[in-house]
Amino acid sequence: MSNNYFNTLPLREQLEQLGKCRFMSIEEFSDGVEALKGKKMVVIGCGAQGLAQGMNLRDSGCDVSYALREAAIAEKRQSWKNATENGFVVGTYEELIPTADVVLNLTPDKQHTPVVNAVMPLMKEGACLSYSHGFNIVEEGMKIREDLTVIMVAPKCPGSEVRNEYVRGFGVPTLIAVHEDNDPKGEGLALAKAYAAGTGGHKAGVLMSSFIAEVKSDLMGEQTILCGMLQTGSLLCFDKMVEEGIDPGYASKLIQYGWETVTEALKYGGVTNMLDRLSNPAKIKAFDLSEELKQIMRPLYNKHQDDIIDGTFSRTMMEDWANDDKNLLGWRAETAETAFEKTPAGDVEISEQEYFDNGILMVAMVKAGVELAFETMTAAGIIADSAYYESLHETPLIANTIARKKLYEMNATISDTAEYGCYLYNHACLPLLADFMKDIKTDVIGKGLELDDTGVDNARLIEVNAALRAHPVEAIGSVLRGHMADMKKIV
Amino acid sequence: MNIRLDNLTVNFDDRFQLDEINWQLDDSQHWVITGANGAGKSALAAILAGAGESVAGSITGLPAKVGLVSFEAQAELIERERKKDDADIMDVIAEGTPVHEILHEGSRNPALIQQLVSMFKLEPLLERAFRKLSTGESRKVMLIRALASEPELLVLDEPFDGLDAHTLEMLQQYLHGLVETVPMVLVLNRFDEFPDFITHIAYVDQARLQHQIDCNDQQAYNDLYQLLHLKTTDLQVPAADPDTAIPKLDPTQPLVQLNKINITYDGQRIIDSLDWTIQPNQHWQLSGPNGSGKTGLLSLITGDHPQCYVNDIFVFGFQRGNGESIWQIKQFIGYVSTALQWEYKVGTGLRNVIISGFYDSIGLYTKATDRQKKIADEWLALLGMTDRADTPFNKLSYGDQRLLLIARAMVKHPPLLILDEPCLGLDDMNRQLVLALIEKICAGSETSVLYVNHHAEDKINGIDNYLTLEKRESNNH
Ligand SMILES: NC(=O)c1ccc[n+]([C@@H]2O[C@H](COP(=O)([O-])OP(=O)(O)OC[C@H]3O[C@@H](n4cnc5c(N)ncnc54)[C@H](OP(=O)(O)O)[C@@H]3O)[C@@H](O)[C@H]2O)c1
Repeated sequence: MSNNYFNTLPLREQLEQLGKCRFMSIEEFSDGVEALKGKKMVVIGCGAQGLAQGMNLRDSGCDVSYALREAAIAEKRQSWKNATENGFVVGTYEELIPTADVVLNLTPDKQHTPVVNAVMPLMKEGACLSYSHGFNIVEEGMKIREDLTVIMVAPKCPGSEVRNEYVRGFGVPTLIAVHEDNDPKGEGLALAKAYAAGTGGHKAGVLMSSFIAEVKSDLMGEQTILCGMLQTGSLLCFDKMVEEGIDPGYASKLIQYGWETVTEALKYGGVTNMLDRLSNPAKIKAFDLSEELKQIMRPLYNKHQDDIIDGTFSRTMMEDWANDDKNLLGWRAETAETAFEKTPAGDVEISEQEYFDNGILMVAMVKAGVELAFETMTAAGIIADSAYYESLHETPLIANTIARKKLYEMNATISDTAEYGCYLYNHACLPLLADFMKDIKTDVIGKGLELDDTGVDNARLIEVNAALRAHPVEAIGSVLRGHMADMKKIV
Repeated sequence: MNIRLDNLTVNFDDRFQLDEINWQLDDSQHWVITGANGAGKSALAAILAGAGESVAGSITGLPAKVGLVSFEAQAELIERERKKDDADIMDVIAEGTPVHEILHEGSRNPALIQQLVSMFKLEPLLERAFRKLSTGESRKVMLIRALASEPELLVLDEPFDGLDAHTLEMLQQYLHGLVETVPMVLVLNRFDEFPDFITHIAYVDQARLQHQIDCNDQQAYNDLYQLLHLKTTDLQVPAADPDTAIPKLDPTQPLVQLNKINITYDGQRIIDSLDWTIQPNQHWQLSGPNGSGKTGLLSLITGDHPQCYVNDIFVFGFQRGNGESIWQIKQFIGYVSTALQWEYKVGTGLRNVIISGFYDSIGLYTKATDRQKKIADEWLALLGMTDRADTPFNKLSYGDQRLLLIARAMVKHPPLLILDEPCLGLDDMNRQLVLALIEKICAGSETSVLYVNHHAEDKINGIDNYLTLEKRESNNH
């Protein structure tokens, strides 16, 4: 059984690694991909990240080819098609890995141990192995040959965005790290920077972090606010609306597209802007609901963070891997059978503003989830910048997947790790919110407040506005969104 | 009154012919006829006063009394006066017909004449011979004659030209007073001169009545405004930005050289072993039916097609696949296509959309310099969109978006401008707008234009190299 790397470190170092995070300035990338010039990059796996990153790197002038497992080549699987149809050289591990200066491991995290064990012996002396997620190193304690440099370049977006943003002339925020145990030539940082520049990430902002901070924050974000909260919220809101006699088609549509619409406001101007889209009475209502939700859910967020930090989460998940994914597959099937999932969005017109007005509870859930995840992460020693990307920043991206094809699409797009964590959250959160939901009526989900008089108490409104703006996720958010220059202008 | 022109073709002394006019005017309407110089505006107006010889089609419902003021009518009257002099030359030294006589010729309403004379301050000239008047003075006489004739239809061709500010205002007020009683047709060149009582606009181009617009249709009104602006202003393509100058290319090398190019989708060959060279300063038209691989071929040049890495492509000094980045290639290219327009679904303001052309990005991710903003504003002025600099791009009409993307593509003065079906999806007016802009660009800059259209006959002046792709039968490879 694997050995959790984080748990082998002394506390002092654990804290240091968790707190590692620095926002890099664009000037630090003035060398572009120079450090990768003349080097051969071989990508393992040609899925969502593999294809997008490879295409970007090639378009930036890097030499990219793909090493796929033999079955994928023989059966001409999608990964083989992805690579060959896009004009890449494709070969087996034996053919390509020995020639590689940089090997990009972009296979699913669950496969990392066998994949790395297979390719490591084939790698050239002094070459570099890179990851886009640190799970294998941190949670499974994978030991990499001492002569190899190990880096991480983790785009904070799905592969499709990684490619689309590059083509627009931009990039997606990216986290880079060097595994300090494996930096024999001290070139890890230069390689990671060049790689990030090659994918366009430097234009949107790069965080210099550690494998540990990346893993512990990434896991936390994806299982709580990003996927967990949206899934739980979808199910609860849908069932409540139907129970209150709202047309199921309408309810289904309000939720399916509602997350995307309200988090679009979040993307542009943070939690404050999302709540500013509501009328004054609705804003106060959403604020109060979210305060209540935060109080109820805080212990759950703490538990998730604790289990992630001490390795309980990855241990139980790996036990499920060893058990043929019994839990994961069971939960996946269960989700497919929920009423929300099975009710198609109705053929009704819902205006952009109506998603806010009739979705006050959804706004409150997003606010509560984002703030709780952020608060919990920073309390665990994760730096605010990192916590922002892993909570608020990614929420709209996940919401988009729900808009496309509901929870099915979300769970298909996210990693197995995120999906597993999402179900854990969902199972704990549904009963936790049962009492809270008893008092919920259609005024906050489905119909809106329908007030004749939208007056509010001045003092209360001032209080709420001040509290919204004073939250630390808003401060760091406005700085980071500013770095993304005219990001606010793109849709 | 209800005038109808059906497929009317009218000949003017064999010098000029207006073709196939279909037009209807009634009592409740006030029209402006507009268009570029030489388009046939005045001729169309003159038809309403019975000018020209109808050679085909029909015109019905013309009122008996039409008051016409135009340079032609004015010239005719002066000519008549001159002939009179010639006739009289033998006996007396003729002074010619005095103004008061000219004024009373067509009107039986002396009170009205008197009122108008005093309005136009023409009293001191009443005894003067008409042919001795200055152009401006004789123009006023023409106006009074027409107004005093109590016409059933007033046709005024450029009535405001050459009038001093005071007279202009007075005349406009007077016309306002007639709105309820006399239908009017004015020939006017400038939108800002259009009186607000105008209900319809007729746009004439190349001797045809090309567009008829109801002024309530705001979108059509805006489009026409821009078209007229592009057609009638002497446009200067704004300069490039010296700070983001494109590297100089070796003028002896081709811009693009494709050797034995193949494009294959799903095992099916779309382009087979094609050679193509574009030299600097050549303009090209690429045609072919849908599915013949035009867009694929273009994206090999722009670097957007992944198969550019498995073909022998030389572009702007780079042999592809040797460590160059696509941004090094794209800097030499301005690109416009429907696909780009779909991609460009951004809320960015118009000025920033143009500036994004300096960076080849969709959306703007870099702080623009003052100089770039100034250049972008010059482009907006050229397009007649100055007042919309901060309007979000996605709020523009489809045709305006296209114009703006052409400006975005041109802003850096690229050596190669690729226009992939730039008129696709545009109505006729917007098509003409886009073509007018492209012709300006072809004529006035160092940019090679590569114009793609699936109709080979849709030609642009200034393009003289053609490549036509055939659709390949499937599976012949
Ligand atoms: N998705 C995201 O949003 C995201 C964001 C940031 C980072 N990441 C990270 O990026 C990495 C790749 O994730 P992904 O989402 O791109 O994965 P993915 O879409 O599932 O693609 C994985 C690829 O690996 C191949 N593969 C699967 N099992 C393999 C095995 N045992 N041996 C060799 N190849 C195998 C698959 O091809 P065949 O089955 O055809 O061989 C497939 O092409 C992960 O570390 C993930 O955490 C993902």
